[in-house]
Parts: sequence; C-alpha cells; structure tokens
Amino acid sequence: MRFRKGSRAQICRTAATVAASTSIYYACSVRLARFGICICAAVPAWSAPAAVLIQPSDITLQSPGESQRIVLSGGSGCETSSTDPRVATVEGNRVVAHAPGQARIDVRCADGSAVTTVQVGNRRSAMGVGFERDLLSILTTKGCNSSACHGSPAGQNGFRLSLYGSDPRFDYDMIVNQHAGRRISAESPEDSLLLAKPSFAIAHGGGQLMTPASDEYATILEWLRQGTPYGAGGTRLERLEIHPGEQVLTGAGQRQPVVVVGRLSDGSTRDLTAEVRYAVKDEAVVTLEDDWTVTAKAPGMTTVMARAMGKAAAAQFIVVEESPSRGLRFPDPANFIDEHVFDKLRDVGVEPFPLSDDRTFLRRVYLDTVGVLPTAGEAEAFLASDRPDKRSALVDRLLDSEEYSTQWLVKFEDWFRNSQYYSQGRTNGSFKRWLHDSIREDWPYDEMVRAMLTAEGDTTVRPAGNFWHPAIDFMLKKFEVEKAVPTITRLFLGQRLECAQCHNHPLENLTQDDFYGLAAFLARTRVKHGYGQYRRIWYDDRRGEIEHPVTKQSVKPRFLGGEQPAIPAGTSRREVLADWITRTEQTQFARATVNRVWYEYFQRGIVEPFDDFRSTNRATHPALLDDLARYFIDSGFRFKALHRLILNSKTYQLAAHVPGRPGGERPLEDALFARYLPRKLPAEVLLDAISRVTGVAEEFNNYPAGTSPKELIASIGATHFLTTFGHPRRDIMEARSNAPSLAQALQMMNGDVLAGRMEAEGFVLDTLLRQGLSDGAIIDTLYGRAFSRTPEAAEREALEAYLAAESAAGRDRRQGLANMLWAILNTKEFQMNL
Amino acid sequence: MQLSEMRARYSRRDFLRMGGFSIAGISLPQLLAASPGRSDMSCLVYFHTGGLCQHDSFDPKPDAPREVRGGFGTIPTTVPGVRFSELLPRSAANFKRLSVIRSMFSLEAIHEKAKQYAFSGQRPNNAYKHPVYGSVVAREFGTRNGLPPFVVIPKKDICAEAGFLGSAYDPFIAGDPSKEKYSVQDLTLPTGLGLEEARGRARLLSALDARLEAVEKSGVVGSMDHFYQKALDLVSSPEAKRAFDIGSEPDKVRDAYGRTTGGQGALLARRLIEAGVRLVTLFHGGYDTHSDNDKTNKKLYPEFDQSFNALLEDLDARGLLDSTLVLAIGEFGRTPEINHSAGRDHWPSVFSIAVAGAGVPGGQVIGSSDAMGAEPTERPISIEDLGATIYSKLGIDTHTQYHALGRPIRINDGGEPIPELFA
Repeated sequence: MRFRKGSRAQICRTAATVAASTSIYYACSVRLARFGICICAAVPAWSAPAAVLIQPSDITLQSPGESQRIVLSGGSGCETSSTDPRVATVEGNRVVAHAPGQARIDVRCADGSAVTTVQVGNRRSAMGVGFERDLLSILTTKGCNSSACHGSPAGQNGFRLSLYGSDPRFDYDMIVNQHAGRRISAESPEDSLLLAKPSFAIAHGGGQLMTPASDEYATILEWLRQGTPYGAGGTRLERLEIHPGEQVLTGAGQRQPVVVVGRLSDGSTRDLTAEVRYAVKDEAVVTLEDDWTVTAKAPGMTTVMARAMGKAAAAQFIVVEESPSRGLRFPDPANFIDEHVFDKLRDVGVEPFPLSDDRTFLRRVYLDTVGVLPTAGEAEAFLASDRPDKRSALVDRLLDSEEYSTQWLVKFEDWFRNSQYYSQGRTNGSFKRWLHDSIREDWPYDEMVRAMLTAEGDTTVRPAGNFWHPAIDFMLKKFEVEKAVPTITRLFLGQRLECAQCHNHPLENLTQDDFYGLAAFLARTRVKHGYGQYRRIWYDDRRGEIEHPVTKQSVKPRFLGGEQPAIPAGTSRREVLADWITRTEQTQFARATVNRVWYEYFQRGIVEPFDDFRSTNRATHPALLDDLARYFIDSGFRFKALHRLILNSKTYQLAAHVPGRPGGERPLEDALFARYLPRKLPAEVLLDAISRVTGVAEEFNNYPAGTSPKELIASIGATHFLTTFGHPRRDIMEARSNAPSLAQALQMMNGDVLAGRMEAEGFVLDTLLRQGLSDGAIIDTLYGRAFSRTPEAAEREALEAYLAAESAAGRDRRQGLANMLWAILNTKEFQMNL
Repeated sequence: MQLSEMRARYSRRDFLRMGGFSIAGISLPQLLAASPGRSDMSCLVYFHTGGLCQHDSFDPKPDAPREVRGGFGTIPTTVPGVRFSELLPRSAANFKRLSVIRSMFSLEAIHEKAKQYAFSGQRPNNAYKHPVYGSVVAREFGTRNGLPPFVVIPKKDICAEAGFLGSAYDPFIAGDPSKEKYSVQDLTLPTGLGLEEARGRARLLSALDARLEAVEKSGVVGSMDHFYQKALDLVSSPEAKRAFDIGSEPDKVRDAYGRTTGGQGALLARRLIEAGVRLVTLFHGGYDTHSDNDKTNKKLYPEFDQSFNALLEDLDARGLLDSTLVLAIGEFGRTPEINHSAGRDHWPSVFSIAVAGAGVPGGQVIGSSDAMGAEPTERPISIEDLGATIYSKLGIDTHTQYHALGRPIRINDGGEPIPELFA
C-alpha cells in the first residue's frame, strides 16, 4: 500500500485496514473522504472495539519540513484535525511540520477519540557516528576483533585489532592512521578498504560479513563521511519504537503498515520507518513488504523487529484464521489469570479447550504439585466427593504436604545448581536441607535470596553460601566474578548478561559497563578454603575493585540501568546489591520469579525463554505478568500463594485434549495457553511413578529403603536411569531437558528399571495374582494405579485380545500380564502429564 | 531454538509436512529421515583423557635437562631425523601412515573446559554449551545402516554431548568392550524375552498409544515413537548386534589390539566404523599424571601405541583408512618440568597430536616446539584450526551456522583447515 501525500481517501482506507486488523469489521466510505471526512461504520464482530489509538502518542520534530508517519487503530468513523495547522497538519498517513511551535492532532471517531502532540523546533541536528560507540560495536558483533580473526595477537594479514575492542585507541589508530591510512579513503568513502573487505567487494579471508544494504555498512559509511571522528558528536539515538506494538491480523493477506520512531538524545523524535533494518522472526506467519507493510500469511504468532544503530524494537503480530467461529465459549474466570488469558484468546478468536475432567485434573495436579501419583484410595475419595470446592480443597491439601516441598526442592536445586561437584560432595547436603526448609516453611523469597546474596561464613554451617559455589574456579580455588554476575541476573532478574561480558549487546541496551558495574558489587567477595578441600568460607574483603577490560579503570558499583548507589563505608556491597534486587519498587525480581514459576506449570513463560527478558522479546500477556508480580509482592513473596492462585485458575485446569480437536496442531493455542500443554514427567517423578505402580521401590546405595530419588544428596549421576531421563548435571545455567532419546527408549525396553522390578520381591502382579484376581480385575487395578482411570472399551478389548494371544503362544499367565504391564508403563500417557 | 534452526533449513511446506512443532521443538522421525547431507567419510577419535605428554610421545627433547627430558629415551622413526619417544616403537615404525603435529595449543587448562574445547573446536563459554564434532556430524548426516551416527566408548562424558543441538544428537554409549562379559547397556532384550514376544508387546503398546495419538499432534509424541522404533530396530538388527559383538573377532585380532581398554575400545571402534557409525570417540584414561609420570606412562603409552597402530593397520588392510579420519588427541599437554611428585601437570601451551587416514599424508611432522617442549616455535595450530580440518575432511562447510538461544552460532570460529593435511 502506497500513500500519496495529502490523499485523504487513503487515510480512510488506512483506518479501514487498521480497523479490520483489530478484529472488527468496518464498512468505510471512501466517497466522502475528499471532503475531509472519513466515515466508517462498525459492524461488531465477536469482541468489543478496542480503544482508539494514534501512535506515536507524542511527536517532536526538529525542524519544519520534517514529517512523521502515524498509525491509527481501534476507531471507526474517524476524523483528524490539527489545533494549529500553521505548525503541523496531517497529510495522508503523516504528520507534517510547517513552522516551529506546538500543536495537537485530534482524532475523533464514532466510538472514541485520541490525541497526539506535535512539537516543532527550528534546527535539525545531525546524528553523529563515533568510533568508540558505533564502529567498535560493529567490529565486535561481526567477530572482526575475535581471537580467531584480527583480534589474534598476530592480527590477520597485517591488520591487527585489540581483542574484542579492549583497546579502542589502538584500534582507532590502526584503522585511521596505520599503513598510511590505506584502510580509509576520504575522497571516496565507499571505496575504503574498511568497507570493501567485509562486504567482499575485494576478496577477504574472513568472508562476506555484511552487504552494502546492511545497517552496519550504512553506519560505517556514515562514519567515513563524517570524517572518522573518534567520539560521537551530535544527537544520539537513544531508543527505537515500532508501532503498532501489538497487532492481530485476520486471515491471510491482511495488511498493516508499521511505523518506526527514533527517540533522540535531545528529546526529539525522528521517523526512521524507511531507515531501519527489519527482521521477521517467523516469515511463515507474516512478511514485511517493501512499503513497510506487514502482510499476514498464516495463523500464528511472531515478532517483527526493527534495528538501527545498535538499537532495536519489536512488535508482536498474531495472525488468526479468517472468519473465526462466533460464540466462543469460555469458562467463568476463577481469578485474574483467567481474565487476562481469556481476554487475549477472545481478541484472537481462539476458544480455550474445555475444563479437564476430575480424573485428569487429579492426576495432573498430583504430578505437578507433589510429583507422585494419587493412590487408589485418594482417587476414590476425590472422585466421590460432591463438594463444589473439592479442587481447591485438594490444592490446599497438596500444598501443605511434605511431598510438595520435596517436589519443589528438586526445581530449586536445578535453579541454584546444587551439585556434589561444586561442593566436593560435602556441603551440598546442608544446602539441600536449607532449601528444603525454606520451601517447607514458605519462607519469603526476597529474604531467601537476600540470605544467599549476602551469605558469609563457612558453608558447612552457613548453607546459604553454597549459592556461590558454582562461581568458584576449581583449579585456582578462587571466586570468579564473571561467573557470578550472569547467574545473578538470570536467576533473579530474568536477564541474560553473559554476552555483555565480552561485548556490548548488539540489540539491547546491555553493555559491558552494565556487566562490570554489577561485577563491582562482588569485587570484594572472597572465598577461602579451610581444612580439607571442601570447607569454604565466604567473606568480604575491605578493599578490592573490578577493572573494566576496555578502559582499564576501576569500575564503580552500578545497578542495571545506570544508577550508582552511594555506599557508606562499612556497608557490604553485596547487601546493597541484594537490597536493590529485592526491593519492591523494582518489580523485575518479582516478574522474573513469577515467570519462572509460570514456566514450571505451563512449559513456556509469559516471556519465553523464561529467563530472557529483553525489549525485543515480548511477553505474550504483559499485563498478566505485571499482575502476577504485584500479587507475588503483595503476598510477601511467598510461593504457596502464587501456586494456589495458578492451580486454582481455570487456565491451569483446562483440558489438554478433546476428541476431534487435536492438541499441538495450532501453534497459537499452545502459545496463548488455550490448553494444558502435555509434558514428559521429570526423571525423578517418572521413577517414583514406576515404583508406585509396580510396587517395587528403587534402591539407592547407602539410603534407607523407600528413598525417593528427589531426596538423594549426591543426585548427579546417581543412577543410569536418572541421567538418561534428563536429571541435569547443573553445570551450566539451563532449564533441564525433557527431550526423548534413544537411550531412554532402550532403557524402558530392556533395562533393569522395568525388567528388574518384574523379578523383584513385592512386584504388583505377584500380589494381585496371590489375591486370585481375574485378568479383568488386574487390568482395572493397573489402570487405576497408572492412569487414575478405568480402561475404555477399545482398550479393554485390545488388552484382552493381547492376553489371549499370549496364552495361545504358550506363555504363562504371569508372563503375559507382565508384558501387558510393560506396555502400560511404556505408554506416552503414563510417561507424560496430560 | 531448534525451531528457528529448522526453519532456516526447510521451507514452510516441508515444515508443515514434517508435523509442526511442539514443546520438544522437534519432530524427529521426519527430521532424521530428511537426511540433509551425505558423506562417505567417517571419523575415529582416540582421546587421551588427561592429555598426552609431548615429551614422552611424539616430541621428545633428548637434549633437554633431565627434569624436562624425563626418564625415557628416543628412537628413530622411518623418516630420517625424526625421533619419537621409546615408548612408541610401533608408531615410529608406522610413521608412514601418520602426520604428527608438534605445535598444537589450547587456551584452557582445566580438564572439563579443555576437553569441551578439544571436542567441539569452540572455546567453552558461560552462555551456552557448544555441540561436539560427533553431534554436528549426526546433525548434518544422520544415520547410516541403521546404526547411531555418533558413538562414545566406554562411557558417557559431559564433554562429549550435543549441547544446544539437543539430546537427539547426543552420542550412543557403547560401554567398555574390554570387560569380560561385555554387552552394550540395554541393547539386548531382558533374559527370557524372545524377539517375537518383544514385538508383540510393542504392538500392544501402539494400540494403547492410539488413544492419545488421536488427540495429541505435538512433536514430543512423534519423537518418542521414533526412538521406540529405533530401539526396536537396534535390538532386532543383526547388523547392530554384529557390530557390537566384539567376541566374534578372532582371538588373534583381539590380541593384536591388546586386551586393554584402549585395545578393545579401538577394535570396537573399527567394527562400528565398518558397520556405518560416522564418528566414534574412544576415551582412553590415565594420562593425568600429576604424580609418578614415568611409572604411569611406562605402562600406559605402550597400550596406546599397540592399539592405535593395530587400528591403523587393520583399517588400512580393510580398505577403510582412506575414508576414515583417525585422530589421536588429548585436551592439552603436560608440563615441561617434572614436579615434586615426579609428575607433570597441565600444559595447554603446546602439545602433540597424530592424524591419519582420509588422505592425510604420512611421514610428516607439522610445526615444532621449543627446546623445552614449552611453546610452539613454528606453525602454532589452534583447536579451531583442528576443528576446521575435521569438518573439511568430513565434508561439512566450516562456515555452517546454527541458530540457537536467539543468536547465530558458527560451528567453527574462524579456524583454517591445516593445509599440510590435505596434500
């Protein structure tokens, strides 16, 4: 769609396009548009119209003649007008500045109105490009100054750079002055070696790293044109915005123009729509046309990212099927979780799966909350109850049980990487107990985190200090601050800072300054080793600073975002850091934590990956995330309140499956929590479930009979089964993998985990056979134990036919039944939570 | 992460046909069947866990002081002027089949990190775990003759895993074939269970699974199915059984390799390569000689020497050497100076490796170290260069990138294939 300046008809069409794309059907009159009136009549579809919005909501243009594209959404029958047409007017889809001053653009629609303010200045200033800020980040992100290329001590073909830009002055001199300045050409910047090599206009050993159409190329060219300044002059680009930030498109072919606004350091805005580089995450869902219009391709959810000069912004696009069915059915919301989730589903026209039945809910909530299967008696009691609040009563009972604390203990150990390897097999046990106690007592999480962050003393008696153990260098027996910083940001703030150790983040406002600013809080943290290797004593030294790898200056403690706290003498820097992380005004700690817990229940975060909060990684339900964080804070950072809220929500209680509506076929349903996402049982839970169904507990060396694998102190590598089924080594910060594998299949097929149990004392079949039960009764018992249900007719038929065939093949009854039980335990239904 | 990576490789249509995506992110059966590339090359890594001592192996320093030279003498090789340690007589005699690099260096001095580095060609970092060569090969080429593409002997090692590529590309663990009653873990049906009986119960399993599969279309279900099928194939495959059945080798051959973990491991590796496995890694432990270096090496190095050379000769005799890249590498070298415990500690600054097969010229020494065996003097060769060499030999573009964790990750970070190995 092309916009001609001044075409009012076009604006009307824009409104129509926008309107349709916000899921409301409109009929617009293009005929009246030439009178400056654009009238659209809303034909309500299945949802109420969203509020009228004009974006960007404030425009500051540096000088007359500049213009800014705008996006209108949510309104019908809209007219636009300017309070001062001498200053600015709306022409087509742009606001055009005519003279210095201020004006307001009013949008009046049949069902609402919106405004945007326009300020026009009188002088346009150039955006400067500097070596230190802009060029260095390109050299680094492209790998030019890595150890494998020009950053190696010998350089590469005579061109040598400092490793990852650690010495900018040296690099600047090398590029601008050395070898008689042959790398840059002042007369004809395009022919500079600095551009010709990486763009492969001239053969380059490192290959083609950029094209002339790329953002990086343009930045380097601009820098050459500006006379290769070292520091950046002029105004800087501080932030990018992309509008609309969130948009639903209906049906393939639906189009939506996007507008990109740059916020500059002098407070002005600049229309960068035509000047940024775009990337569509999933081009199967939408594509971006040359005229900056997003076009829907197929149902799904994706982001469109815009980037320029080291900044980025992302918009979320959801494409839904054309003419979605009307009269979608939603359960009554149980709490605000449901309101947010169902609202979003309503917006995109996706119906949630119905509520799970009692049997499904029972097995699910047991496995998720306490990690064990319900016993036959428990199942019977629950199913027989006609209390209307029996689900929430069950949730309460489970959350108060000892098994709840053990179930979450394993997750906490994963989070905090409790491992016998980090503590030489000595103090991980006390750390485990400490974590266990805090879960059991529902200790406020902010206090718990504070205790870990500020831990001092011998970790054999002060277990919280084990939190720091993964950051010890084994060989050097030294605390490594570089390991600790990303752990802290990822665990407590949901932010990945690893990249910023070596280079400024190419897309985010995360810099090396941020990394080392945080590291400075730990500059005085020390560990000493006491008697024997395992005894570790944490303390704070009175002095000690962190050196910035580029500036070689010692770095002052600085929070993410730039605030430099005043730290009174005698105050531990770690305490200041812990205060900042957990203080309630700083909701990122709560947001990251609730998102982490949400992931455990729903297998994907509201921000996904759950520990990767970034401006370019949008939350699917931002308001839900905020409300959950607020709720968590208001409940005193206590997990049980959060669990209770989630477990009682209808969203959690939705079915995973409905006959005739296969799950997993429509990505949007899974992405927007329209059903319960089935998952494989974690290693420990699966092993306990096998023990419970077969009646034969796992035996661990040196542990009493009946010990759950969750209780093992040296759990890593404890058994072949646990390792094979994904019990992690906790050596790196990564969510545990629940991916199926060949080794798992072989183990279940041939391994001792089943074959051994079938020969062991107490094997369920021997018990049942001794009781003289019929095949049918045995089938019912096993189904009850494994699935908390009775077999359906088709299943019973298959099972009985199988037993008959086994008998016909001459195998004895016990062997036939054992093979049948093998099949039951190998079903996906048994190995998964549904 | 696997999703975006797959997106980059397959068109939308392929993708839909492949069954969409899931919580596990991947639908394996179709993916493996798609078999993205072809290669006839194989690779066998004989790994010295702990690090081969350069002085006591391929780069002796007979003129250095006693505390550097160590306790062993040197012997001539088939190439005039080139001497190896007296601990490696077979390698000296077999030098025409080998290239030796005396100027390898690593940047990591801790076992785990250095191994991870040596096995992946990528320096370990705090952000993600890079897949090792075997996983990349599995990812690029898939299975051959129904055998797992990547096998590790004798046991699982965290430094030989698929990292961000996901468990589908983790190695298959073969166990220790030097054990008296060797069998691969879980590869044979439980005692007393016949193959027909096993198939029968697997059919019942499919019937029971049908209920869920009618309503669940996500990848995790398909992927579990795929692995069950693979497991049943392996269990019932005579080829697989035969490949792992080291007992069927004549005693003469088993003796020639040596009845040691190294010897029988190398023999099993040869059998697996022959049967269709693409990359076998054999871990041979004991090289971490912080104390009593000479005492350990006197026993250990001949074990390596015998098995490694038996392997080369055997591969050659069977016509497999030209299509098999054989590497004898460790994670680093050992300190030039012998310590107070008569041991040698970790030394990444320079170490020696041997390379053979796959068109690698024989009788060649590449690079050199200084008089102490402490630093490279000529042709320093990085782990990245070695990685680029391995990929090039196996027919994998060294510029291949995967997309994971929201960023592109190159399988090799700027290494250059070592030209001397391509003569």
